[in-house]
Amino acid sequence: MRMKAAAAVAVAGASALLLSACGVGGGGGATASGNFADCAENINNCNSVPEDQLQQGGTITFAIEKNIPNWNVVSADGNVFETGMATQAYLPAAFDTQPDLTLALNTDLMVSADLVNPTTIVYKIKPEAVWSDGTPISADDFAYSWKMQSPTECPECATAGNGGWDVVQDVVGSDGGKTATMTLSHPFTDWQNYFSSGQPLYPAHIAAQHGDLNTPEGIAASFDWFGKNPPTYSGGPYVVENWQDNQALTLAPNPRWYGATKPKLDQLIMRVITDATQEPIALQNNEVQVIYPQPQVDIVQQIQQIPNVSQNQQLGIQWEHYDFNLRNPFLQDKALRQAMYTAVNREDIIAKTVGQFNPDVQPLNSLMFLPQMEGYTDNVTATGLGSGDVERAKQILTDAGYTGVGEKLVAPSGEAVPDMRIRYTVGNAIRQNESELFAGYMKQLGINVAVEPTDDLGTTLSAGDYDIMVFAWVQSPAPFANAQQTFLSSSGNNFGQYKNPRTDAMLNEAASSADKAAATATLNEADRIIMEDAYVLPLYQKPTLIAAQDTVANVRGNASLAGPTYNAGEWALRAGS
Amino acid sequence: MLLYAVRRIVISIPILLVSSFIVFWLGTLSGNPLTPLLLRNPPPPQSVLDAEAARLHLDEPLVPRYLAWLGGVFRGDFGPSVIATQDIGEELATRFWVTMRLIIVAMIVALVLAVLVGVYTAVKQYSKSDYAATFIGFLFLAMPSFWLAILLKQGGIDFNTIVGDQVIYTIGASSIPPPDGLLARVADVAGHMVLPTIALALISYAAWSRFTRASMLETLNSDYVRLARAKGLPRRTVMFRHALRTALIPLTTVTALDMATILGGAVITETVFQWRGLGDFLIESIRQFDTYAVTSWLLISATIVIVLNLVADLLYGVLDPRIRYA
Repeated sequence: MRMKAAAAVAVAGASALLLSACGVGGGGGATASGNFADCAENINNCNSVPEDQLQQGGTITFAIEKNIPNWNVVSADGNVFETGMATQAYLPAAFDTQPDLTLALNTDLMVSADLVNPTTIVYKIKPEAVWSDGTPISADDFAYSWKMQSPTECPECATAGNGGWDVVQDVVGSDGGKTATMTLSHPFTDWQNYFSSGQPLYPAHIAAQHGDLNTPEGIAASFDWFGKNPPTYSGGPYVVENWQDNQALTLAPNPRWYGATKPKLDQLIMRVITDATQEPIALQNNEVQVIYPQPQVDIVQQIQQIPNVSQNQQLGIQWEHYDFNLRNPFLQDKALRQAMYTAVNREDIIAKTVGQFNPDVQPLNSLMFLPQMEGYTDNVTATGLGSGDVERAKQILTDAGYTGVGEKLVAPSGEAVPDMRIRYTVGNAIRQNESELFAGYMKQLGINVAVEPTDDLGTTLSAGDYDIMVFAWVQSPAPFANAQQTFLSSSGNNFGQYKNPRTDAMLNEAASSADKAAATATLNEADRIIMEDAYVLPLYQKPTLIAAQDTVANVRGNASLAGPTYNAGEWALRAGS
Repeated sequence: MLLYAVRRIVISIPILLVSSFIVFWLGTLSGNPLTPLLLRNPPPPQSVLDAEAARLHLDEPLVPRYLAWLGGVFRGDFGPSVIATQDIGEELATRFWVTMRLIIVAMIVALVLAVLVGVYTAVKQYSKSDYAATFIGFLFLAMPSFWLAILLKQGGIDFNTIVGDQVIYTIGASSIPPPDGLLARVADVAGHMVLPTIALALISYAAWSRFTRASMLETLNSDYVRLARAKGLPRRTVMFRHALRTALIPLTTVTALDMATILGGAVITETVFQWRGLGDFLIESIRQFDTYAVTSWLLISATIVIVLNLVADLLYGVLDPRIRYA
């Protein structure tokens, strides 16, 4: 009898556990809700709470999607998003990237940072700025952080390859070490990226304990040491209290933090959750209070159902695009490329992919700038590329001497245009969809395109094993250097081998200009030429998604490489929560 | 018996070597570990790519690479990981115990439940409880483990809501930071274990309970059990001493053979519940094209399966004296 009762209880319990999973409640908006409702109008300050309404103490746990593989964020191994988000809590930087993607002087650390002439930058450091062991933050730290990234000062340092360091000639300290003067061999338009949050300052006095900083070998030894060892130093609002590999980074307030806003939290924890689909559940169970997953229809809908949770989507720095491989002799014909991209309907693609969970996504109309950035100009619409105008596309082909348009396309030379392959990353449903849509558009022109996944995007791109590729670029906060890396004829990242001496000259000129307005105009001119050549077709900016418990204050999305932790020192819990 | 065990171990060595070479070979075909670096914007300098290729021995032919890895394994070096700061051997050792904790508890729960339900439904064949247990068994058998795990998670959250406290957790093996006090820590670990254990146990339970039921029915209908009953032995003695002991022999085989399946189930369970065990290690290593890590994982998991199969063989002797004396 006892056994029967126990079995009944067990069955009932299991059933309740399973059945209860089916019922959830709540609600929310499409792209912004709750505490993030004003983010569209007030992107840099939404979810701000006055200090007297904040709780002193408490813990916030923030989900990060990857382990931290290396603690040196300027190294090739450490230059990953998660390391970047972590370092912002404890490494000082001259400039921070704001949610609106602008660079702002870090006034906690800096008095000023000025380009006093085209090749000289003067950094004035606040007198009270110190590392967590009391050592002043000084010009020595600027000099060391330059040397560790300089290909001439430290050829053995396996750096991430951030642009601009090759033109730095010297960093000289003065004013008791509180002024650093950096001299360049020639102007670098993106100069504000030096020592920005993606390339922060590392402590020279700690580095000196692990290598002779007067020798390249010593710098390399300290460079590696910073990568392998969890930080025991801090020049930011938090210090690392504990690191459990693959589990969590626990941060505690830095007792020697010199900034205006003191951290309110007792602990800020960055917890590794490698499966994004598990993040909303952990948020719902209050095991984490802030999540920042890649948005997908399921995840967005799931979060909308969680009570007392706010969410916000922003258009981020990753932008999706089609690339032609110009190694294919047929694709070397500009008319064919223009016709193919003209037949592509970007509005349709968006509606059938990311538009399903974010109605704000629009076609991207520049290869060089994002709409949030100064200098963004629509260089696509006038070309007709991406318009989905099939008749216009057919006319381009006919005018260029193609026959069999709409049936089986034949080139002016009399050769049939061969079947082509569009490739995408295996398992990426959105890109599969984009590839199939592309194949559908091409069928209307008489071009047969096979959709083929790749499980190794990097190798496929660098080997040129594709005719058309759909993937995403991450827009660097340094647009001028970024354009060189993506479109210069000689660049390794110019996978489709677009070659144009005219745009090469423009890209080089724009990246090394002392006049930013002129550089912007030059870059836009290069953009117009490359768009006219129909090499890359930008599709849209990928949205980012932040969701947080309503108890959390001063947390907001930041679609740049900085991520939401750009203001980690201000994160707090609302009073009474 | 000792000779038998040694012979089994010796036979398993070539199996391990061949399987590890195949996995190593497939691993090298599956992708380029430099892909994350190749896709960076800005791109890392070519010198960095070359150095990384040399560190991972990507510039060497397949067979020498495999032999170098194998030689390293005997010295406790499982080769360089794609993550430069990661020691594959240390990682496997740490994660081994995480997975074992999950698997052992899940197996015990599944076995106890399976034997209890299997015996009960065999004795009460075609009763309502037999039909109910059959239905539940097939339900769990048909359920994809990741879906079951997600349902359990949602159920756990609702349970917390009902009791008004955080009793059940959905990620990790313990809270970070852990709570103060021994009792609180035990409760915390238990709260983290309950859902993954249920998820992993239910899948094995479903198959094992059906197996126990069938095996028990066959035994109960055998002549020697009928004879035992006819001799007037007490029902309890007939059931447990004569019938159950014999019925457990095939279950032992199935349990040992299912070890590979349970390890496979742990891959999904650990991913869904974010346990940093061997399953999670495998998934992450595959994602990063980390050939040395994947092959090392195979070596460890294959060894576990082989050892447990051996243990099962040895247990036959304990359960069935005829095998012991054969």
